[in-house]
Amino acid sequence: MKKLVWLWLGVFALSFAMAQTKIRVFVGGQQRPEIWRKILDNFEKANPGVKVEVEVGGATSDQQQQYLTTVLASRDPSIDAILIDIVRPAQYAAAKWADPLDKYLPGVSKANLLKQLLPAYAQADEIDGKLYALPSFADAEFLYYRKDLLEKYGLKPPTTWDETIKAAQTILAGEKNPNLNGIGFMGNISEGTVCSFLLPIWASGNDVADKNGKLTLTEDQARASLQFWLDLMDKYKVSPPNMAEKAQDTIRNEMQQGRWIFGTLFAYAWNRFQTDPDSQVKGKIGVVPLPKFEGGRAASCLGGWQWTISDFSRNKALAYKVVKYLTSPEASKILAVDASNLPVYPALYKDPDVLKANPWFADALPVVLSARSRPVSPRYPEIADVMRKALNAVLARTKTPDAAAKEVIAGLQAIYSGK
Amino acid sequence: MAPRALGVGMNFLRSPRVWLWIAAAIVVVNGFFPALWIFFTSLKLEGELTRLPITYWPQHPTFQNYLQAFREQPLGRYFFNSVVVGVCSTLLCVGVASLAAYALARLQVPRRGLILSLMVGISMFPVASLMVPLYQTFTELGLRNNYLALILPHAALSLPVATLTLVSFFAGIPRDLESAAMIDGSTRVGALWRVVMPLAAPGVFTAAILAFVNSWDEFLLASTLLPAKAMRTLPVGIQLYQGEYSFPWPLISAALVVALVPVALIIALFQERVVGGLTQGGVKG
Amino acid sequence: MIRSERRYRRSFGDLSEGALAFWLLLPAGLLLGLIALYPVGRLIYTSFFKQRLSEGPQATFIGLANYAQALADDRFWNAFWNTVKIVVVTVPGALVVGLLLALIANLPFRIKWPVRLGLLLPWALPLIFVGLIFQWFFDSQYGIVNDVLMRLGLNREYWLIQPTLAFWAICWTIVWKTSSFVALILLAGLQVIPSELYEAAEVDGASRWQGFWRITLPLLTPAILVALIFRTITAFQTFDIPYAMTKGGPGTATETLAMYVRTESIENLNFGYGSALAVLLFLVSLAITVVYLRYVRGDDG
Repeated sequence: MKKLVWLWLGVFALSFAMAQTKIRVFVGGQQRPEIWRKILDNFEKANPGVKVEVEVGGATSDQQQQYLTTVLASRDPSIDAILIDIVRPAQYAAAKWADPLDKYLPGVSKANLLKQLLPAYAQADEIDGKLYALPSFADAEFLYYRKDLLEKYGLKPPTTWDETIKAAQTILAGEKNPNLNGIGFMGNISEGTVCSFLLPIWASGNDVADKNGKLTLTEDQARASLQFWLDLMDKYKVSPPNMAEKAQDTIRNEMQQGRWIFGTLFAYAWNRFQTDPDSQVKGKIGVVPLPKFEGGRAASCLGGWQWTISDFSRNKALAYKVVKYLTSPEASKILAVDASNLPVYPALYKDPDVLKANPWFADALPVVLSARSRPVSPRYPEIADVMRKALNAVLARTKTPDAAAKEVIAGLQAIYSGK
Repeated sequence: MAPRALGVGMNFLRSPRVWLWIAAAIVVVNGFFPALWIFFTSLKLEGELTRLPITYWPQHPTFQNYLQAFREQPLGRYFFNSVVVGVCSTLLCVGVASLAAYALARLQVPRRGLILSLMVGISMFPVASLMVPLYQTFTELGLRNNYLALILPHAALSLPVATLTLVSFFAGIPRDLESAAMIDGSTRVGALWRVVMPLAAPGVFTAAILAFVNSWDEFLLASTLLPAKAMRTLPVGIQLYQGEYSFPWPLISAALVVALVPVALIIALFQERVVGGLTQGGVKG
Repeated sequence: MIRSERRYRRSFGDLSEGALAFWLLLPAGLLLGLIALYPVGRLIYTSFFKQRLSEGPQATFIGLANYAQALADDRFWNAFWNTVKIVVVTVPGALVVGLLLALIANLPFRIKWPVRLGLLLPWALPLIFVGLIFQWFFDSQYGIVNDVLMRLGLNREYWLIQPTLAFWAICWTIVWKTSSFVALILLAGLQVIPSELYEAAEVDGASRWQGFWRITLPLLTPAILVALIFRTITAFQTFDIPYAMTKGGPGTATETLAMYVRTESIENLNFGYGSALAVLLFLVSLAITVVYLRYVRGDDG
């Protein structure tokens, strides 16, 4: 009888302990959940007694935001760690949805960790000196170009926008193919269009805000950016007149059919160009950093995903252990080899296994190193909204660059001054 | 112009049959075209979608999108979940709405206008802004990832439209028929079941279609309240074929065809056989 | 059957009419109460607070300030008028098209299912995908609309880039989708109109038009009102179709109120202001629908 009681107690204690060591992590449906499962299986093997469940959310950043807003605004503890888009940490920090990670990284360990990462991520994940997320994998905008066409006309991969435009004009004039387009960029209402708005500003050496979060963007700079993209369509005739409706994936698909000379697209396009069965451009595509303006500097738009710990988690210390593993070089390498996700550790771009799976990562490193993060602010969504609507309206020719630039500055001033 | 539609039934024999065909063609083309477009797309490869000039019929028809759709996601499971939620919420909605509609159409209800207004008024709040409290409610009830977490709100969402549709039908049924049944010894509820419901069959059926399709297509609640993989409904499952930037139309079209065809056929057959029979029996009897 | 009737009689037979009505309405009240009471209450409550998560999770009571802010907000008025325009175009549009479709579907075809299915399909296609399909149809390069126009020798139009055209493309899509909903309700209404009425009218020498105006329309009025009420309510909440087709663009030219509510609540985490916008959306559609409800009540009261 006594034995039985002890047995029951044991079972009870065990099940209690099991319940205590269950961690649930959230990843989006587009993030290859099966690879995360594989990484977490490794973690579970190394940490017996810890079960990590993967909850798979919607397939776009938008849909995940909808779901996570509901869950987190309800202060629901059911999710412990979340894979979030690069533009979110500041918002999560302000809303007190994310657990600051500094306490797990005492002394110099935080600085040591950040040193190993691509510098832009340390910037994006640290808010007011506190670390709110750890980067998992990188993404950036690349200038994809048609190697074969550039070679045919004896052109080198461009480093400035002037060269890019001239190259596009030369090839378009020589090819005389009505279905061939020059420079593809994002101009529909999407996150990519925020990047489009920022690229010319960065390429001429400016930025939206300074280190202290003070707005530095001027109306002239905003107008120059808007005018630049409009000129690609109207003045230089290297982009078709309907850029305001073109989604990134349409440009990718067209480029895959051999219909663009240049395209500013995120990293995902590379594998599609090389491996899709119906790709017409296998082996004909190269990547370089996004061009600069004379006197400016090359800058790409940073993307990528971060692990953050929910402030409502009941098991934060263990969740941190999981996140630490998920963002380790070991996990980063699995993601690079199996999912072709760009690592956040520069060292991995020279790793032989990674390069064997993705030879083009050698070309990707300088681009990723040049990438800059979009404005880091808890009100980023409002900033993004102002920028993409302005550029979209200019490309649709419903607003002049002058009027749109005035609105951008007025909108940004209101946001940055806390109105 | 279509003759019977304009009111006088028997004249139609005298008018040319051509009109009938044209009228039918308008409805069929209008309704089928986007669905057919989806079907054609499901037989294409993605590259064909950005070819110029555009193609209608696929150049090289392929079924590989269907195979891939089933390989990438457990579509069968999603289908099953959608059926469970759709059928249960429809039955619940139409059942509850019939009772309420009968009361509102036939009985002396104090503040009837207020009750109707409340019912209609509730559907004027955008569901998206009610998500946080709804999520809290169902989490408190322990119903997250339970079919009930979707059956109840889906039934409730369609309840106002179902109730008002039924009120308008019940109100149109002559009271004599019901009184006759009650004189024959039937209770009010008996009369509702045996006399009123069959006579209002087209209305009941319409309410059921509206409720079912509302539930079948609903995305926001489904993705929030049943997030677990094994509990996903079709709209939630189908959007998972997307990438962060990519929208693979052929694959998604294949999944849409799988989601759409059985439902459309079942509803059409059901309407032809069951409701057709009920209506004829009802109106004559 | 007989046994169940006896049971009914035992449980309901003695009830007064008022009590019976109460029990019949109770399930509906419970269901709606469970789903709506707390959420709606909380929405209205939140709308009196300043709760902007980008400044922290705290909520401060500010009375009607969110509403005042909305009334002074250009973007609110832009979204408001866009929504009103969509209501004004698509509600009558869907009603007329839906009525036509229902009248056709009610014709005595030997084989009914193709027409019935044609009536049902737009409604059965999930809303989020309808928007995306029509975005594709109206695409300036790959859309069939321009393909057809150009085959007819007309010019290419930039449907989703040009604000006026984008508005009409959105309205067209909404009418296509929702006329099916209207037609379903009206078809049911047509089916219960006894054919004897038309025969009698014919004997009296009435023309087809007269039959339509004197018999079909009056008897269809209750169904039309139901369709109108719900079509109006859903038109005020228009979200998915413009969100898929234009994301509110170009700029904010086709942004609706429901889209603005989502941007504020979900994207900007501006819960207080977002809630106030949602309540305003409710108030506007309430004001309009009250007019219809008068008709419904006046009809048989």
